Amino acid sequence: MTALIRYQADLLVRSQRWLAPVLLYLAFLAVGVRSGEPVLDSLGYTAAGMLPVTAWLVRVCVTQEPPAARAVVAAAAGGQPRAHLAALLAALGCAGLLGTAATAVVLAISDPASTDHSVRVPLPPAGAAGLLATACCVLLGAATGALCGRPLLHGRGWSVAATVLVALLALVTAGSPAKAAVTGLVSGSLTGTVHVPVLPLLGAAAVAAAAVALACRLTAMRG
Amino acid sequence: MLRGVDLALPARSLVRVEGANGTGKSTLLRLLAGIDAPSEGRITGRRPRTAYVPERFPAALPFTAAGYLVHLGRVQGLRTADAADRAHEWLTRFGAAAYARTPLAELSKGTSQKVAVAQSLLAEPELLVLDEAWTGLDTEARGELDRAVAERVTAGATVVFVDHDPRRLAGTVDTAYRFEGLGLTTAPLAALDPRVRVEATAPPGTPLPAGLPGAPAYTLAADGTASLSVPAAHSDALLRALLTARPPWHIGGVAPVPDPQPHRSTTRDGDRTP
Repeated sequence: MTALIRYQADLLVRSQRWLAPVLLYLAFLAVGVRSGEPVLDSLGYTAAGMLPVTAWLVRVCVTQEPPAARAVVAAAAGGQPRAHLAALLAALGCAGLLGTAATAVVLAISDPASTDHSVRVPLPPAGAAGLLATACCVLLGAATGALCGRPLLHGRGWSVAATVLVALLALVTAGSPAKAAVTGLVSGSLTGTVHVPVLPLLGAAAVAAAAVALACRLTAMRG
Repeated sequence: MLRGVDLALPARSLVRVEGANGTGKSTLLRLLAGIDAPSEGRITGRRPRTAYVPERFPAALPFTAAGYLVHLGRVQGLRTADAADRAHEWLTRFGAAAYARTPLAELSKGTSQKVAVAQSLLAEPELLVLDEAWTGLDTEARGELDRAVAERVTAGATVVFVDHDPRRLAGTVDTAYRFEGLGLTTAPLAALDPRVRVEATAPPGTPLPAGLPGAPAYTLAADGTASLSVPAAHSDALLRALLTARPPWHIGGVAPVPDPQPHRSTTRDGDRTP
């Protein structure tokens, strides 16, 4: 599995198709994150942005090989499900690195205070909350990408449209772990209290595991 | 779509699958290689270490030939250093060592196919599935692939292949299957090319003319008698070349070579039954 993930990650890095989602994310951060702004607000914004970016990275990873190359790797790896899982994990890993780096930068440059700058916010719990919220969004983004791309949706148009729509819904629908985690950070910022989103993370992990398992199983039947 | 297909793949065997276009040869090969799962029916037996060569290998991947092979070698379970050594070795055998550092996207169609074939041989697979892997290779590389297939079978592997040339690996194929309708039937094995033996004489010490048609196998005695054997299709051209050579050769006799037994007698140890 390590060799497979390494192959997929190398493919992603060399293909340079990661550039578009990463640049979009950097632009999104440049617009919304300023030095000296309240830390919890900025962390919520940073986490929320990772959801569509992860979905995009997953889409890149599962479509970056021509079918013949995919067949060659699937035969060597012992089936398409394993090869597909490696692609999803490579995307998840890259998104995790990006989200962690963004969270670290936000923690370093933001003002550790509530929205009205009256209450101090302790940085370690704020950092933990930010990382967990980012993890929630990354996992749900991966689930979105896994369900809205190959093997469930093959056409490019439908796949992109579904990815955008589901990513948006995952951020705004009540009950979505990503929405719960981000809202927890932003509303906590008003009073300077840190809500560490443990339950949303568990929910997001369960959703992502189910989505990845379904997508991988289906690859052997639908390509 | 395939239905009612039933076949067993014993170890140490060479299996040919034939049939018209669109009858499901590639689908069957993908099932055997473990790429796709059957929607009905099942594949039993331990999944062997498998390698697969697709018919066309569009190399739109951002790796060099050697870089790709090292990745694939690692996926097949080799350590990085081993994978790099074997990548070099197989590229050399197929005459593509000069392209090791060339990006896959810049390779010609034939050289990409050599890379696709090389990846399948890196880790000595137990099951090798070749979907018209010879298509696009040059003559030397085709011969090298024939030899590599023979080596794998000798080492105990199962090799399943599809090729449009009915003479491909003729004489070493153990079982041939043919698609008819939606089913799979056992097909007769292609016989070896019939050969013709030519006895010719020239003054003692005369060498045989260079570049004889059909690349004959020959023995040349000190008294100037030569015995040559060529595929029947080349016998007329060979005779013409011998008769018009300087000095001319005298033809002593022409006779068909008795057909050698096309079946190899091998012991079958252990059955793999996908």
